[in-house]
Amino acid sequence: MSKINLSSAKSGAVTIGLPRAMLYYRYEILWKNYFSALGVKYIVSEPTNKEMIKTGSAYAIDEACLSTKIFMGHVNALIGKCDYILIPRVSNFGFRRNMCTKFEALYDMTCNIFRKSGQKFISYNVDELAGLTEEKAFISLGEELAFSRKEAYSAYKYAKKAEADHNRNRVKTQETLYKKGGLKILIASHSYVERDAYIGKPVVTYLKKMGVVPIYADVVDRKDALKASVKASPTLKWEFSREIVGSIQINKDRIDGIILLSAFPCGPDSMVNEMVIRRFAGIPILNILLDDQDGTAGLETRLESFIDILRFKGGDL
Amino acid sequence: MPRSKTKVSFPQFHFYNYPIKYFIEQGLDAQYITAPKMINRTLDRGSKLSPDYVCTPFKGTLGSMIDGLEAGANTLVMTMGVCRLGYYGELQEQILHDMGYEFDFINLSEYSTGKQRDVFRAFKRINPKYSLPKATKTFLDALKMVEYMDECEEIYYKNCGFEVNKGSYKKVYNRFLSAMDTATSRGDIEAGYKAFKRQIREIPLDKPDHPLRVGVVGEYFTVMDPFSNLEVQQKLCNMGVETYRYINVTHRNIHYNKAKNLRVGMEDYFKYEMGPTSTMNIWAAKDYAEKGFDGVIHIKSAGCTPEIDIMPVLQNISADYKMPILYLTYDTQTSDTGLDTRLEAFYDMISMRKKVI
Repeated sequence: MSKINLSSAKSGAVTIGLPRAMLYYRYEILWKNYFSALGVKYIVSEPTNKEMIKTGSAYAIDEACLSTKIFMGHVNALIGKCDYILIPRVSNFGFRRNMCTKFEALYDMTCNIFRKSGQKFISYNVDELAGLTEEKAFISLGEELAFSRKEAYSAYKYAKKAEADHNRNRVKTQETLYKKGGLKILIASHSYVERDAYIGKPVVTYLKKMGVVPIYADVVDRKDALKASVKASPTLKWEFSREIVGSIQINKDRIDGIILLSAFPCGPDSMVNEMVIRRFAGIPILNILLDDQDGTAGLETRLESFIDILRFKGGDL
Repeated sequence: MPRSKTKVSFPQFHFYNYPIKYFIEQGLDAQYITAPKMINRTLDRGSKLSPDYVCTPFKGTLGSMIDGLEAGANTLVMTMGVCRLGYYGELQEQILHDMGYEFDFINLSEYSTGKQRDVFRAFKRINPKYSLPKATKTFLDALKMVEYMDECEEIYYKNCGFEVNKGSYKKVYNRFLSAMDTATSRGDIEAGYKAFKRQIREIPLDKPDHPLRVGVVGEYFTVMDPFSNLEVQQKLCNMGVETYRYINVTHRNIHYNKAKNLRVGMEDYFKYEMGPTSTMNIWAAKDYAEKGFDGVIHIKSAGCTPEIDIMPVLQNISADYKMPILYLTYDTQTSDTGLDTRLEAFYDMISMRKKVI
């Protein structure tokens, strides 16, 4: 909340904390490269574990989504270990390209929850409908860290390029998965759910163990996906959901089934999953809602039976 | 102008169907089918068809659409919105079509592109031959009606707990509402409003010098719609409390300047706009606290993300100003016994506090 009145960021005396949750999975490359280019140190919280979910749940409002609780656990783990914790506020990337309102509130919500801890937070604001582009946001973030406009701009450009390369490579690698033999299952989920070590990863690992090829729906050429999503659902307005639905629209003929993986009670998913089930009738879909369960037996049974049905359908069983 | 054959219905939302009806009938020359008042069955049928963890207004409005279709409507209109509400329309249309209902669906989300012309296209679907000057004039009348209704409601909830003769406030208020329901001209609206103001002044009140005052904040739909919040404001009034609610269509939609001026002096609590009604609700809670209110009630439907997100802020306001806040979450419950218990306990607590302080 306060302006940083020091040039110590320059001399490497400031450490930024990056919570390994929520937008981290989307912006990891961008953030790390941006800070590296500026010469700012950063630390990342450990992968999610049970203890984190427990403390996170204690800090978050009980009705908040599981991802919020996990996020608070990560923030708590970083407190006292860094000077500033980065929590961006991302509202939208333009018309019908909104984020869940959670990402509008995350910064202020976290500041309020951890008000007594004395921890400082730093933010940047992306709100393209109000003229605040990501580029502008990163420039003012750099300025807040006592860098010049020019330095911030070139660090952003450098990081953006690294991000684009990284994304292109991911899409390319994923493309080879579609061509692989075997049962291909599209995992339609937010990156912070499917790649979270405690909630999403076990699902993917289990699928691999079953000899299935899991493919992430959100690893896709984002522009193409946005375009395709309009066909599937014209008024869908959440950026992440549009990427996922667009990806399903593009790839539906190349996969054997879809797993909708959501954190309870995700706002956008509560409606988008229903829409996917209704609009993509004919494709086998398993809808899994993840909460802070302890055992995985129930989850495994459901995955197993889904895969059995798919194999049975394909005549492999 | 030839009358359109469209029979339009809009899901029940508090008393705001009166101005919608007025606009559609007088401004667009189409027929408006008022969806029957929401009852438990409405919510029941709606929630059976809804995804289970969607926010509650989705279920209620879906049920109300079915009610409207059964009452004879052939065209449903659904609003746009900045949270999940903006996606309600498309999913509800899909669900109803899958059920086998046949109707025309005007989803304002499709037309809210920021360009005014696009809204006119939506009007054209209701009546292809509508007259723009007439529609504009009627629209302004309807807005005035909304302002009057919100104003009268404010007066009602401030005083109805202190009437000498039970039911005298309600009688005048209901008479006003039915005047709005049946209004066909600006003159009718003005007359109804003036009559309310005249009659309400004459009702004898027995109000202490410092009555208990409670502010109500919360999620757009549930906080305003008495059916959805189990008449929480009326219940409080019946206990002898002045209740206030800043959030209404007048403040949120008609005179809403993106809450710019409500953000002044809030730096301690937030830096950004946290959600569609967040700034307004946080501002209202802080305003009630500064005015020395005895308590605030925060109302939301289960799973309402923006309202869950402002709860940490409200908790801090409550701690800073030593003002109790009761948090209520509504889902499709049909009994109000649990609510009564909580309200009574809250009332006991704030009235005891008032005596001590």
